[in-house]
Order: sequence, then structure tokens, then C-alpha cells
Amino acid sequence: MPIMTESEVFDKFAQIVAKSLRIDVSQIAPDTHLTDLGAESLDLIEITMETETQFHIFLPDKSVLETAVEVFGPGVLERDGYLTGEGKQLLLRRMPDADAQAFAGEVAVRDLQHYFLRVDTWVRMIQGLAQYTPTECASCGGPMATSMGFRMKCAKCGQEITLRSGEEFNREWVREYYDREYRPQAAVSFTRPACL
Amino acid sequence: MNALGSLVYDSSVTQAYRLDAFPCAPELLAEMILSPDERGHWTSMRAVDKRRKEWLLGRAVAKEAVRLLLARELNLHLAPAEIEIVPDPYGRPLVSVAPPLRVATVHQPSISIAHSHGTAVALAVLDPEAQVGIDVESMTGRREDFEAIAFSPDERCLLAALPLDLRREWALRMWCAKEAVGKALGRGLSAGLRAFHILRIDPAGGEIEVELRDSALGQCPPLRGKFLNVYTARESNFVFAAIIHQQGAVRMRPSRQDILDYLLQKMGELTEDWDYPDPVRPESRLFTELGFESLDAVVLCTAIQEHYQTPMPFAELLAEIGQHQRDLSIDELTDFVNTHLGGPKGADSTRRVQ
Repeated sequence: MPIMTESEVFDKFAQIVAKSLRIDVSQIAPDTHLTDLGAESLDLIEITMETETQFHIFLPDKSVLETAVEVFGPGVLERDGYLTGEGKQLLLRRMPDADAQAFAGEVAVRDLQHYFLRVDTWVRMIQGLAQYTPTECASCGGPMATSMGFRMKCAKCGQEITLRSGEEFNREWVREYYDREYRPQAAVSFTRPACL
Repeated sequence: MNALGSLVYDSSVTQAYRLDAFPCAPELLAEMILSPDERGHWTSMRAVDKRRKEWLLGRAVAKEAVRLLLARELNLHLAPAEIEIVPDPYGRPLVSVAPPLRVATVHQPSISIAHSHGTAVALAVLDPEAQVGIDVESMTGRREDFEAIAFSPDERCLLAALPLDLRREWALRMWCAKEAVGKALGRGLSAGLRAFHILRIDPAGGEIEVELRDSALGQCPPLRGKFLNVYTARESNFVFAAIIHQQGAVRMRPSRQDILDYLLQKMGELTEDWDYPDPVRPESRLFTELGFESLDAVVLCTAIQEHYQTPMPFAELLAEIGQHQRDLSIDELTDFVNTHLGGPKGADSTRRVQ
């Protein structure tokens, strides 16, 4: 897929949001929160569907923190609703442009919701996933078109592929982070997460 | 909300408000009902008008539910601004009521709030340990195909088995059920939509059974192998779902013991200024021992139906008693009420849980 710039993704995504929420596109800025625009839970579902259709991607159905908690086990990244040092470190690595200042004090899980619902968070996620969507068929070089749901089909030779889900990409990233950054530390301090 | 009101009882209050029925300007309402901290939040909210108004409406309806509950159950009369609602670290709303001077401590009721398309609903339960969840969705302006992403193939089969004209409504009921369970467990749908699996729907009664999977179980391990019963209802253009989950058991209907306690208390009230040597006991008989007359029986039966918001065939019961010239003990009356509330028979059947 020709790599879209962040501002191209933003423009297209803002159109989707504006249409779904029946608001003017001028109300949408990168730092706007979708809920502040009046989006309800089902609006988010509709925005997700439309985004997946238009960008040919498969968005994750949970946050990267949630996926990471599954990999790390309970109580490592988050305890009683607050991020631990390890949790902050992981999220800052994942979101290099997040405000490091905001992670200085206590960070409650509910505060992260605001981050995950920001327009620019979505834009970066879309951009990241869209680069894995092929435009050309791997075997014959023909143009790929969406067929059903998360499947794409070559218009020339008919070969079909299934898009990988954002959840899978997140999990892969978390596993890699775990092996590279966390396990070496854990080995030194002789603590292992409960899940392993 | 009447439709839900009849499903959710047992020391709980459900309440609904509509945006178009705002009693006064939002700023004025905020002044009247919000605590200083809540007002700070309201003033600093950067959201669009609709969102700010619905947030305020949600606070108003939740405070009213708590106010009614505390007045009814504890005879505690508070102003809305004395009932503060603060989110916990995960975002679940917690009630914080400062105890009045004459009361040492107040158990903080459990609440849940939801709003959609200008309607806000709240559910308040006296038990501070109870996990409660409520959700509301508007039937209008939804994409027909949201089911494709919201539900698994198994769940879509449940929908496909319904008559065509019911599918849209039940898709929303199923969505609301997932949301209500997520809220009751305090983490919303953060574990992902697939983690809240709908096992069964009952189009006649409105109940939906939800089972937790994957990371939702990680968030709430005691619920492994259990299912959660969510009550859903439709009223005009809105669909509602509610659940009250207490102490590891899912309980919406009162237990037989709850009914017996209520009847004993009610009998105590009714016979307060009559002249009795003995206290009212489960085996006390209404007519020969307690001196009931038929009018007193009618008053009692009306009160019971009112309390449980369920009509029961008391006329037949009383006629049968009259015919056979027999009496009725409070125990027997408890069984009668229990049966007609749909509970199982017998003294030790308390919870409707697997």
C-alpha cells in the first residue's frame, strides 16, 4: 500500500468520525477525544467498522495495555487500578510521543482511557496497521481488492489472503518487548510474572 | 423504565431522566446538585454540549436513585449535593455519602449510570458489596450491520433464530447486556467484546445469560464456570439492560428468606398498634392468631404486590382459604409469594445460580 502520511490518515479518519457522529469535520483536531465529541459506545463500533472498511485494516478490540497484561500476568503492569513502574515503561515505549510528564505521577487505568480515545492515537494506530495491508498480489502482482470482511482477493489471479488483526500485531510487539526488555531484568531480580 | 423497574427490586432503585425534561438551565442544575469537586469537573469538561448535558443528567439521575434508596431503606434524607459520585481508578462510579452527625457510618450504596441519546438511567443498590451494571441504548440511527463486529458467529446464530422483526431490538439488548456486565465487574469492555460471551437469550422473559471468557476471567477469576443473568427490557425507543451481582452469586429475584423477612417486617408494621402478647413469628397464623380480618388481608396483599411490583393471584388464594375454612401462616404466605415471583419452592433454595 502506498504509505499514507499522518495528515492524510487524519483527514480520512476525521471524515469518518464526522459522518458517523453527524458533526462538522472542523470540530475534530488531533488532540480531540472521541467521547468529548459525543461518541457513545456503539458509535465507536460504527467508527471502527467504517475505518476498517476504508483503510483495509483489522483494528484490535482491546487496548495494548490489556493485551500486555495477558502476556505479563496480573499485578505486574497494573495494580489496583494504577500503573506500576513496569507498566509506565511499557506504555512510554509503545507511545514514544506520549507526554512523559503525564506519566511522572500516579497514573490510573481510567486516565489511559482518555489517551486511547484520542483522535491522534487512532490515526497512528491506523497508519501503523495500514502498512501491512498489501496492494499487490504476492504471487502475480495483480491489484488486491477487499472481498469479505477481513479477506482480500487478487483481482487478477483470484488468490485470497486474510488480513492479520491489530490484536495479533499488538501481542507480537508485547512478546518481543517482554523478551527483550523485561525478561532480562526479571532474571536479575529473580522475579517472574505469575503467568509463566 | 417501568419495564425494568419490575425486574430489578430487592433494595434497589432504578431511575431514568430525559434531557428534554431538564428542570432548568444546566448551569443552574449543576449549582444545585453537584458537590464542589463535581462542579470543578463539570466546569472543566471540554466536551460538546450534548456530552456535557448527558454527563450532568447522569449525575442527576444517579443522585436521585441514591437519595430515594437511602430515604426508603434507611430513612436517611439527603440533599443531592451531599451524595458525591467519584470514579475509582478503573472508572467505575463510587458513591460517597458523608454520614450525618446522628449516624455513625453509612454503607455506601453501589451504583451504575448510563446515558444514550438524551436519556440517562441509574441503578442504585444498598449492598456496598454488590456489583451493579446498567446500560441503555437508543433504537434509532444505528447501522444494521454493527452485529458483524459486536458479536461472535455463535452469538449471531442466536439472533438469526429470532423472527425478523425482533432481531434489531435483540441485537441491541445483547449489546446492552455485555455493557452492563462490563460495568458490574468494574472494568467495562476493556477485556474485548469476545470476552463477554452470550450463551442464551430468552425472548419471552427478556433475560440474557452471559459467560466470561479469556481476559475477562483474568479480571474476575471467581466467575469461572458461572454465568451471569442480565435482565433486559425495551421501552418505547430505548433498550435497557441491568444486572445486580451479589457476593459471588447472581441474584435478581429475592430469596425465600428475603421474602419472609419482608413479610415479618410488614406484619410488624401492620399490627404495630394492635394488642398482641406474642411477637409475629413465621408460623403465626393470620386470622386465628393475629386477628386478621378480610380487609386487613386485602391491605397486606396489596402491599406485597406493590413492594414486588408483580401481580399475584391473591383473590384466588383468599377465596380458597374462605372456602375450606382454613387459616394461612406467614410461612405459607412466603411460599405463595416465592412461587409467584418465579423462585423455586422449598426453604433452602435461596439463589438462582448454577
